[in-house]
Amino acid sequence: MEGKEYTDIYGNKITLQQQSYNDTCQDFTITSSKMSLRSLTTWTCSVWIVAYAVFYYTQHSAVLTAAILFSIVGLLLYLHLVKVDHESLLILGSLGIQTTSTYASGRENTVFIEMCRVQDVVINEGISMHRVNYYLCLLLKDPRNPQAGVSQVIPIFQSSQPRLDCLTEIYRSCQEILSSQRSKATS
Amino acid sequence: MVHSRREGSGTCSHRNSVRTPETAHAPLRTHSICMVSDFFYPNMGGVESHIYQLSQCLIERGHKVIIVTHAYRDRKGIRYLTNGLKVYYLPLQVMYNQSTATTLLHSLPLLRYIFVRERVSVVHSHSSFSAMAHDALFHAKTLGLHTVFTDHSLFGFADVSSVLTNKLLTVSLCDTNHIICVSYTSKENTVLRAALDPQIVSVIPNAVDPTDFTPDLQKEKTNKITIVVVSRLVYRKGVDLLGGIIHELCQKYPELHFLIGGEGPKRIILEEVRERYQLHDRVRLLGALEHHQVRDVLVEGEIFLNTSLTEAFCMAIVEAASCGLQVVTTRVGGIPEVLPDNFIILCEPSVRSLCTGLEKAIHQLRAGTLPNPETIHNTVKTFYTWRNVAERTERVYDRVSKETVLPMNERLERLVNHCGGVTGLIFALFVIISFLFLVFLRWTTPDYLIDVAVDASGPNAAWPQHNCRKKPRKKLTMKK
Amino acid sequence: MSPVLQAPESGHYTSMSLGGCAPADPVSDPPRWKKILYKRQPFPDNYVDKSFLEELRKNIYVRRYSYWAVVFESAMVIQQLCSVCSFSVVWWYMDQDLLSPQKLCGVGLAITLLGYLLFDAVDKGSGRKECGRTRWDDLKSSLVFIAFTYGFSPVLKTLTESISTDTIYAMSVLMLIGHLVFFDYGANAAVVSSTMSINMAIFASVCLASRLPRSLHAFTMVTFAIQIFALWPSLQRKLRAYTPGIYICVTFVFALFSVAGLLSISGVGALLFSILLISVAFLCPYCLIRLQLFKDNIHGPWDEAVIKEDLSRFYD
Repeated sequence: MEGKEYTDIYGNKITLQQQSYNDTCQDFTITSSKMSLRSLTTWTCSVWIVAYAVFYYTQHSAVLTAAILFSIVGLLLYLHLVKVDHESLLILGSLGIQTTSTYASGRENTVFIEMCRVQDVVINEGISMHRVNYYLCLLLKDPRNPQAGVSQVIPIFQSSQPRLDCLTEIYRSCQEILSSQRSKATS
Repeated sequence: MVHSRREGSGTCSHRNSVRTPETAHAPLRTHSICMVSDFFYPNMGGVESHIYQLSQCLIERGHKVIIVTHAYRDRKGIRYLTNGLKVYYLPLQVMYNQSTATTLLHSLPLLRYIFVRERVSVVHSHSSFSAMAHDALFHAKTLGLHTVFTDHSLFGFADVSSVLTNKLLTVSLCDTNHIICVSYTSKENTVLRAALDPQIVSVIPNAVDPTDFTPDLQKEKTNKITIVVVSRLVYRKGVDLLGGIIHELCQKYPELHFLIGGEGPKRIILEEVRERYQLHDRVRLLGALEHHQVRDVLVEGEIFLNTSLTEAFCMAIVEAASCGLQVVTTRVGGIPEVLPDNFIILCEPSVRSLCTGLEKAIHQLRAGTLPNPETIHNTVKTFYTWRNVAERTERVYDRVSKETVLPMNERLERLVNHCGGVTGLIFALFVIISFLFLVFLRWTTPDYLIDVAVDASGPNAAWPQHNCRKKPRKKLTMKK
Repeated sequence: MSPVLQAPESGHYTSMSLGGCAPADPVSDPPRWKKILYKRQPFPDNYVDKSFLEELRKNIYVRRYSYWAVVFESAMVIQQLCSVCSFSVVWWYMDQDLLSPQKLCGVGLAITLLGYLLFDAVDKGSGRKECGRTRWDDLKSSLVFIAFTYGFSPVLKTLTESISTDTIYAMSVLMLIGHLVFFDYGANAAVVSSTMSINMAIFASVCLASRLPRSLHAFTMVTFAIQIFALWPSLQRKLRAYTPGIYICVTFVFALFSVAGLLSISGVGALLFSILLISVAFLCPYCLIRLQLFKDNIHGPWDEAVIKEDLSRFYD
């Protein structure tokens, strides 16, 4: 399926790809923008300028070596642990929901939730220290005690942080699948 | 600033153009109102219930209302109350007596975000004790929004704390568009405290829900006369006078009983009096009462006694009158304006005078010349209603939205001229810093990046309100 | 002048109908505005009536001062300043070895005895009857006190050996200023604490006494401090209450004596001190009375009610 262009809450471009395998099976992938060459060079240059200034005052060549190592190791750690390349949400109507985060280094982090534990998928508003954002989240229930209500809330697309228009798209499709699932369960 | 103001009024006039022919003679515009105060549910009190009831009636009239307050323990984030009333519980540090700590700048990013995403056109703050209310007024003026402030209490002028508070109030109110007070005495007090032009101060009294406070028609008539007192037991409420009255009257009238509800540090005085004169069977101390228990306590009595030393409006006597009780009270603050002479007996704040007033009430009760509780209730319920308060507040909003918000240079001039040399300059500096901060915020998070919130109330409400009275004026709901 | 107070004159019947208010019927009497909230009145909510702020009262509890009465009251402050000055002068003389402790002791004893007799003579024995202390009690307490001070004077002398002289001087100055600040001049203010002021004075005297050559010097210094900071003010209070004329003369003589004593040490100091005394005695009362004109106390129906009667009769 072709990707639709949206923006995230910081103004960066993200792409939403929606793949429908079946009536009850859909896959949403949000791809964040790649790390820009400009930000990489800015960071590296600033680290090296600081290192050079320290070297100028202390005349320790170890400072320069440390700067080089720090920038290389820092970049690797960033790519491996922080920078998310794309996040995806796979809904299998009868089976469950799977969320995957793929980092820039290729590492993947997957969580699978069985459909019996899923109560609903909603868009919620959250307040942080200086902003109020919409985010998509899964409401889970305890299958042994379904009357107890919501037992856990799992937010999804936390790294891409798409805006409301993108979230409503995903939300609508999820709700179609979940409601058809519920009507199948009750009938 | 100018851009957002035009945007706000633009949406209002757009709604205006979708009027039905029969309402063409009444100018109708809906406002997007943000109520801000530190005091809101789950805290219970006069200000809290005022904000809640007023918001509900405004939603019923078709406006969009949101409430911003600080987080109460676990209650953080966004909650929805009846009829789509959205409440923001912000994670700001509470300092003392449910009032937040303020630096005048740290709440700007969050409040600006909320005002932009909810497309607020009027910011209405409540209570001088609330630091968040003053912060919100300050930031709203920087953002170019219209501001209204409601003051619920009376203040002195003499001691150091009053002088400082009044100075801060002057700064806060010098460029506010309109101020609302709950009684004429409160208006005089606020005008003097903040050196305001009395034309921009309106008097809109509080109200009471008459269905909550109805008399008990099934009550049996006995010989016993019960005097009810429901208030916090603190110095300001004149508990010292109450101690004297109990002793004097219980000696004179053997069938007199006292029923006292409420808690506070002065409870010990009443317990001492009860102990000393062995009045355990005639004086009952009920302790703290929940809001829903108040009516049941009030209908047990025939006379309501209020001994406050200062009171801007005094909801308690209106609630008591609504339950059909005869009211005996001290003549302080705004109390003489509240009820007509046949429902209230006013006394000086001294034990002698209050005893005389109570004796007069007892004689009238015995002689049967007091009006019937049902008559009192039926008359009082027409005096103060929330719908009337909402209608008058809406008029204030209409007036305010036609005014211009002071641009930056005029605002600085007003601050320096009106608030004195030193204070005016300090706050002018704060205004400039907050403006620069706002420019910085608009650069990091421009307005177009802020998602517009889904309305829960007002003409564009996403969820239909089943409990609203459908009046013909409200044909403005646009179908999506 | 607050712009607000001009409002009543301009508060005519302003027709600012914003919809929903019935205009006045010109045929019958125009409706009068009443200060009530329970009835809908045909006036807008922000209407300002002629009676707006009618019950405002200004400065009704203000005290009217008379210049010479305030000057008379300032004599107490003058006395304390002179006490501090005399004490410092005496200490200086002892430090310079120009005054021997025996002489100071003798003179102090004589003046104390004289003051003691005067104390009883002034009110003709009624104060003594009231407080119930006999002469024997007084003698006992003074003997106890002298014995303790004499016994502890070697300790007092060596108390501050490890502290530098500059610190001692700074501490003493601070303590004496504190003594002046907390002294009970007869005003009913929160900052008054007579125990604190006498403690600070004694502490200052101990600090200064410890710098003197021998323990006898320390003993006489502390005793002199007690006489001038504790006994002298109580005698002066008595004199002030019963014989104001003599009190003023005594104050005047005392002031002259202090200035003269300071003059023998430093001319500039004496000049500054006399300027201080004159400004406290004459300039400050004048300023106080002038500033009363700027007083702007506002009273009205919004004031918190003051319970005027004594409620303790119900709770005793």
